[in-house]
Amino acid sequence: MSAPLTIITDQRYLEHDTGGGEHPESPVRLQVISQALEASSCFADIAFAAPRVAEREWLAKVHTEDWLFRFEEAVLAGRTYIDHTDNQICYDSYDIACLSAGAGLAGIDLIEEGKAHNIFCLVRPPGHHAEHNIPFGFCFFNNCVVAARYWQYCYGKKRILVFDFDGHHGNGIQSAFEDEAAGYYISIHEHPSFSYPGTGYADEHGMGEGKGTILNLPLSPGAGDSQVVKLLQDVILPKLEEWQPDAIIVAAGFDAHREDEMTGLLYSTELYHTIGLVMRDWAERFTEGRILSILEGGYELSVLGDSVEAYVRGLLGR
Amino acid sequence: MYISRHMTADPVTVSSAMSLPEARALLNDFRFRHLPVVDENGALLGMLTDRDLRSAYPSSVLTDSERRLVYEKVEKTTVAEIMSTDCVTLRLDSTLDDALFLFDRDQMGALPVLDGERVVGVFSIRDLTTAYKKLFGVGEKGSMLIGIDDDGSHGIMTRIVNLLEEQNIPFTRLMRVYDERKGNTIYLRINTFKIAKVYSLLEDAGLAVKRA
Repeated sequence: MSAPLTIITDQRYLEHDTGGGEHPESPVRLQVISQALEASSCFADIAFAAPRVAEREWLAKVHTEDWLFRFEEAVLAGRTYIDHTDNQICYDSYDIACLSAGAGLAGIDLIEEGKAHNIFCLVRPPGHHAEHNIPFGFCFFNNCVVAARYWQYCYGKKRILVFDFDGHHGNGIQSAFEDEAAGYYISIHEHPSFSYPGTGYADEHGMGEGKGTILNLPLSPGAGDSQVVKLLQDVILPKLEEWQPDAIIVAAGFDAHREDEMTGLLYSTELYHTIGLVMRDWAERFTEGRILSILEGGYELSVLGDSVEAYVRGLLGR
Repeated sequence: MYISRHMTADPVTVSSAMSLPEARALLNDFRFRHLPVVDENGALLGMLTDRDLRSAYPSSVLTDSERRLVYEKVEKTTVAEIMSTDCVTLRLDSTLDDALFLFDRDQMGALPVLDGERVVGVFSIRDLTTAYKKLFGVGEKGSMLIGIDDDGSHGIMTRIVNLLEEQNIPFTRLMRVYDERKGNTIYLRINTFKIAKVYSLLEDAGLAVKRA
């Protein structure tokens, strides 16, 4: 019998140094999350497991060789950022990014070996903005897409849902899936006219064989809990009942919180509990309770820990 | 801003003697909606649209015998008989704005682009939206738009630019939009994820960012 929830994380994630002080994607993010989980009433239900370093073979299923070399060379050369000052790096960043991308792989192995069913990877750097050949918005490797490819190629999954509730659109996930039928990317995010990264319009549904496998649900600035709950119940669930995913990956970002200045959305901490409950419900309906969540954004340190704890309580059905 | 950079160059054209079934097959094969009709020197004679063709073909409410009669007539009809000859055109040195005004005035779907008399391109309303999308950075990955109240104070644009450049915050567009009823706004397209930092920078300098 596996633990109700398994968290995959590692102290080495703190070693991805984004230059200190004012950079929002700081190591402290994971520390406040750990503290909130340790203080949580559900801490006893959580098991912990280690990630592994994502092998180049799996990174290369998502990213170009050119980008892998460019990233590795940049850190070895001692550069402090790559392509854009948002994307701060240190000497260890390439290795830590490989470890971040590998958390999903370790989680999938645990699920497929029957050792766990409900996994949450608490990792950094995040991934959903990373494109196949370029970093964006603090993201270097697209952790969710690397995990999806691993699940497809190693375990034969044919209908992978990636659901993204980060306040920002996961442009890198959409790019990876928009022309194929085997993945379904659904994202609720702040409207791209007002929000980074300026992508994720509602009229983008996928192309060619992937037509109909992208569902962007942008919200206007100021939107909050009621709009999200309505989308989950009235729009997304019927789509999933029709599509019947055989694996679920959640890009779990917490920067749409009302206190987080990274978006104009006004989610409450309690909404993340609701989202956790809904994810649990989807897993029970479609994938025999099996679900893999991967941390994306969430930058307001005063609420990030509680938001993640609320999501975890929801995932546990508590 | 010139049409020549955004048009479809060397477009497929047809002769005025072509039959309607041939022209229809061409439109269907290439998924076009507009075909310039030209003479042997490539000079514009008219435009043929999918709407012109639909009007020429029999209506679905006709009986079979009526439809057959119309089909027989259509097969003998040439492009010259149904094309529009009163064409609005663009030139190679026309601008996107010229095209916008023409589309807005005439509700056309596409316009031929001429070099002298010769057709050298077609510029569609889709080309126009693509060009303006690029011009304004809509959908540009890694960017977002911020609105700032324009209080009309002297040097406000310079202040904004200086603040951003001093802090090495990349931006690609700065637009001032006048609106007598709702107030003037300065729009700024920034290319960074560090949004909170930009908000603080602008607000600490006394600028009013339009937030949710």
